Amino acid sequence: MEIMVSRSSITTTGNNTGAWRFVRPVYERHTAPCSAACPAGEDIPRIEALVSEKKFKEAGEVILMENPFPSVCGRVCFHPCETACNRAGFDDAVAVNSLERFVGDLLDTSDGSLPFEAKEKNGKRIAIIGAGPGGLSAAYFLSRLGYSCEVFESEEKPGGLLRWGIPAYRLPEQVLDREIKRIESLGVKINCSTRLDSSFIETANESFDGVFVGTGLGSPIMMNIPGEELGIGWEVFLKEVKKGTQKEFKGKAVVIGGGNAAVDVARTLVRLGASVTIAYRRRIEDMPAFGSEIEIAISEGVEILELVAPVAIVQNAEQLSIELQSMKVEGQDGQRAKVVNDGDKKKSIVADRVYSAIGADVEDEWKGAKTVSRPGNRSALYNEKIPVIYGGDLVNADKSVTSAIGSGKEAAIMFDILLAEGGSKAGDEEAVKKTTAACQVGDGQSLSFEAYIGGERRNVVEGVVKFEDINLNYFEKTALKDKNSMKADLNGFDEVESGIDEVSAIYEAVRCFNCGICTDCGICSLFCPELSVLTGNEGRRIELEYCKGCGICVCECPRAAMSLVKEAE
Amino acid sequence: MKKVIEGSHGVSEAVRLANVKVMSAYPITPQTHIVEALSEYCEEGLMDAKFINVESEHSAMAAVIGASSGGVRTFTATSSHGLALMHELLHWASGARLPIVMAEVNRALGPGWNIWMDQTDSLAQRDTGWIQLYCEDGQEVLDTTLMAFRLAETVNLPVMVVLDAFFLSHTFEVIDVPDQETVNEFLPEFKPSVCLDQDNPFAMGQMAPPPFYMEMRHNIQQAMMSVHDAYEKIEDEFDNIFGNRYGKLDAMLCEDADVVLVMAGTAASTARTVVSALRKKGVKAGLVKIRMFRPFPVAEMREALKNARMVAVVDRNCSFGVGGIFAQEIRAALSGTESRQKVAGFITGLGGRDVTPEILEEIYEAAQKMEDAPDEAIWVGLNN
Amino acid sequence: MLEIRFHGRGGQGTVVAATILAKAYFRAGYFVQTFPLFGVERRGAPVEAYLRIAQEKILVRSGVYKPDHVAVQDPKLLESVDITKGLKEGGWLLVNLPKPPEDQKPYAGYRLASIDASGIAVNHGLGTRTQPIINTALVGAFAKMMGDLPFADLEDAILEEIPVKGEQNVAAAREAFDAVDLIGSFSLIS
Repeated sequence: MEIMVSRSSITTTGNNTGAWRFVRPVYERHTAPCSAACPAGEDIPRIEALVSEKKFKEAGEVILMENPFPSVCGRVCFHPCETACNRAGFDDAVAVNSLERFVGDLLDTSDGSLPFEAKEKNGKRIAIIGAGPGGLSAAYFLSRLGYSCEVFESEEKPGGLLRWGIPAYRLPEQVLDREIKRIESLGVKINCSTRLDSSFIETANESFDGVFVGTGLGSPIMMNIPGEELGIGWEVFLKEVKKGTQKEFKGKAVVIGGGNAAVDVARTLVRLGASVTIAYRRRIEDMPAFGSEIEIAISEGVEILELVAPVAIVQNAEQLSIELQSMKVEGQDGQRAKVVNDGDKKKSIVADRVYSAIGADVEDEWKGAKTVSRPGNRSALYNEKIPVIYGGDLVNADKSVTSAIGSGKEAAIMFDILLAEGGSKAGDEEAVKKTTAACQVGDGQSLSFEAYIGGERRNVVEGVVKFEDINLNYFEKTALKDKNSMKADLNGFDEVESGIDEVSAIYEAVRCFNCGICTDCGICSLFCPELSVLTGNEGRRIELEYCKGCGICVCECPRAAMSLVKEAE
Repeated sequence: MKKVIEGSHGVSEAVRLANVKVMSAYPITPQTHIVEALSEYCEEGLMDAKFINVESEHSAMAAVIGASSGGVRTFTATSSHGLALMHELLHWASGARLPIVMAEVNRALGPGWNIWMDQTDSLAQRDTGWIQLYCEDGQEVLDTTLMAFRLAETVNLPVMVVLDAFFLSHTFEVIDVPDQETVNEFLPEFKPSVCLDQDNPFAMGQMAPPPFYMEMRHNIQQAMMSVHDAYEKIEDEFDNIFGNRYGKLDAMLCEDADVVLVMAGTAASTARTVVSALRKKGVKAGLVKIRMFRPFPVAEMREALKNARMVAVVDRNCSFGVGGIFAQEIRAALSGTESRQKVAGFITGLGGRDVTPEILEEIYEAAQKMEDAPDEAIWVGLNN
Repeated sequence: MLEIRFHGRGGQGTVVAATILAKAYFRAGYFVQTFPLFGVERRGAPVEAYLRIAQEKILVRSGVYKPDHVAVQDPKLLESVDITKGLKEGGWLLVNLPKPPEDQKPYAGYRLASIDASGIAVNHGLGTRTQPIINTALVGAFAKMMGDLPFADLEDAILEEIPVKGEQNVAAAREAFDAVDLIGSFSLIS
């Protein structure tokens, strides 16, 4: 007997359901909040996606696209990415900073093999004053755009604050050397022990087509108290330790200040054998230093004396006596407590040495930078005969390493716009604004170099992925692993944080929502009722003949990598 | 080899011997022993089969529908609420003409919550296009399960093998478990008639609009009616190989019977002792054990009951508002005959209430006294 | 056909005892049927199991209400459960007791058999003193009491049904087989 079942070999391709559509799904790259918050504008969701697939080299190359210093930033960045991370609203933020260090340390480019080809030399030369993170970044990105760069550095080695201002237990010198070497491999010439003054700019046009000024904050802020000359400046001290002229100090030390510099000095002194007290005029919770650094300092035995302001330093036989005015909290001053003198309550402490670490300022020589117009977010343009761009700590609101890197990149892009052959004229600020706006990372301050040179990130649409945009059904809550394990060896300057291993790195990377990027998870294809999500050699695409615009794919997309757009009428 | 095993394991042994390739089930008392054994067979390598764990009976049936569409022999088992949850998929299985075999352990439906014997769960599925075979002892369970695969694969309709909760599923008795070679002789490798083909892709379960649907339903009806012949041939073969036969129904001492008791399941076995005892007393008692319920063996039923003065149907089920379901089916079967025997309906043994020889004698005596059959079913054994 | 009822507690192996005997009688050439009291078993709660033994195929599939004999696994049940309910007059009543009861009046009309199954189980390392596993000792005594079950068939059934400590279980059954005290009938009139 014949069996009748409702089956059909007729293909349904005759039903062109695409004709029903009035909206269409599109794969759109959206900016993740971490990337928008990253001062270097890194493509973090893509980096973590690659790490989760064990593609560590590729992940490192994605970092190098936007930042020449992954190993450095993986150690010293204050990681606003983690504060912005959408995952924090679910369980805990992804340990982006630890992952960056993991990826950066694995990235071996010592054979000169860089993941990109520098453009052909365009014959233009840029002078860069200061081999700190800003200047070196500017040189790195300019070289990739075809410019010949010459860096002038007053110290005997390049690195600026990275070399002289950050103690080795946080940033080992060989890590820094490795990343600087990579920049030099692009053909950047670094002239050390060459101090230039601002008069150089007047005549620079004779040999150069542009000047980048990244001289940093070379001048310590004074306390303006009697006996100040008995104290030691933080920058002098840290440099001496780095240069090896300060090897041991077993006495008692007082460090005045509350920023990272003060904590760095204190922890460095601990390693020289000193017993250390930090004196700070506000409360511990008001200290501008990183919270984690303060915690470690305390655990290493640093004592913190809060609500005291120094009024005088007096020589007291062999020792120094520091006179302190007691302070009290009276209201708020922004995020921090506002403090006033607590009557005339005073105390004094005795120490063998006093260190001043209340901050640094621009040297008088370069103060001009503060008053010029600012077409970029992180750099200032001073236009004479040739473009002169100021960057790094000279102009940045937050004086951080990664912001300096971001400003170096921004300056490189600005030079390229201003010096374009047959393009914008020097000084065309409108052109700069227009072009840089097109490569802005989300709503953040940073520019994407990848977007500027016409890479995939150019297609990122406006807006930043919000927590509500994530489809949480596809994620499971996970326990947070220890990001870094600590080695409490106070006898030397070995690195304190050990970094994470491969297993932890993948575990952590898998946690990333990968906000706004397609990870080829295939959910869209799984849910499409018309089987119109196709994968092939050209990648994932929607077969519009059959897509009826139901939007299920967009709703189901775990990570906001799709949008629905109206069909043209 | 003869073994003392429980009825549930009679099913499991048959499924193992049938070389089923894909099974899927969700546990529910009193079906659990069947699938526990099967999943152990898979684990121990006694079966080269895949056992798919699912989250519901609906999914279990969906899984075996998928597997059967792929062209392999499939099995599932359930009971009561599990079967009710499968209801929609039962239609999908028969409509797709898939030869799925399912063991269904008769159990009451809640509320009140009750895990015991009751026939309403399976009888409520009578219109789903499934062949239904009811068993009275462990040997019949094993034999029927083996025959079910042959029957299903011959007519391309799914088969439900029905056994009483506990009275059969959990009772140990002597069951002759045949060896693999003999079973292979009876039940060769499955050759699907309806099955997906990678080289010639087609979609199953497509829309069947008015010009087609009715023909498809007629086709199922024809297939169901073809079961009668197919079953007889299969049973002949089974008898030749194994020496057992059961018939679509089993008529005992009906030729000269005054009252014939009719029932399905283990109660029929107990009734055999009652009928024998009555005969010894000179009472002309007869018995029809219903084995096949879908398709309903109308001709055989008419033949068995043609001489009875009164037919007493014992239903362990109830279709509220009418009465026992077997009684209705028998009335319908007899309505076309000239003799049109009187059919008295008795409802007893619901929700695990025991059907003892005493209860059956009471029913017999009541029927014997009747001149005419009452319109409404009589409930026997209610607590006062 | 003989019908036997077993009393025990959930977890004592009452169903296993009935199954061992069913398999033993099957080996001895009988038709058998055994089943528990249908329902939800809880550890420690009183349970029952039933056994039918016959020379011909057993057709009755309803419950056992008038047993020919009764076996009781747990002495405490003698007080809490009506163990002689429906027991046919003259039927055997096998109880697990340390020694035969002094007051045998409650068992009038039946034949009493007594076995220290708990003591034997402990001696053979089956279970613990507080929770001895007594079902194999009990079935040994049962076989002797019935008189028609060859011990060899019982031994085979025990080894088939109990996967661990087979030898100790057989030894316990053997000891009980030899030690059971078949007190026999007791009449109030005499």
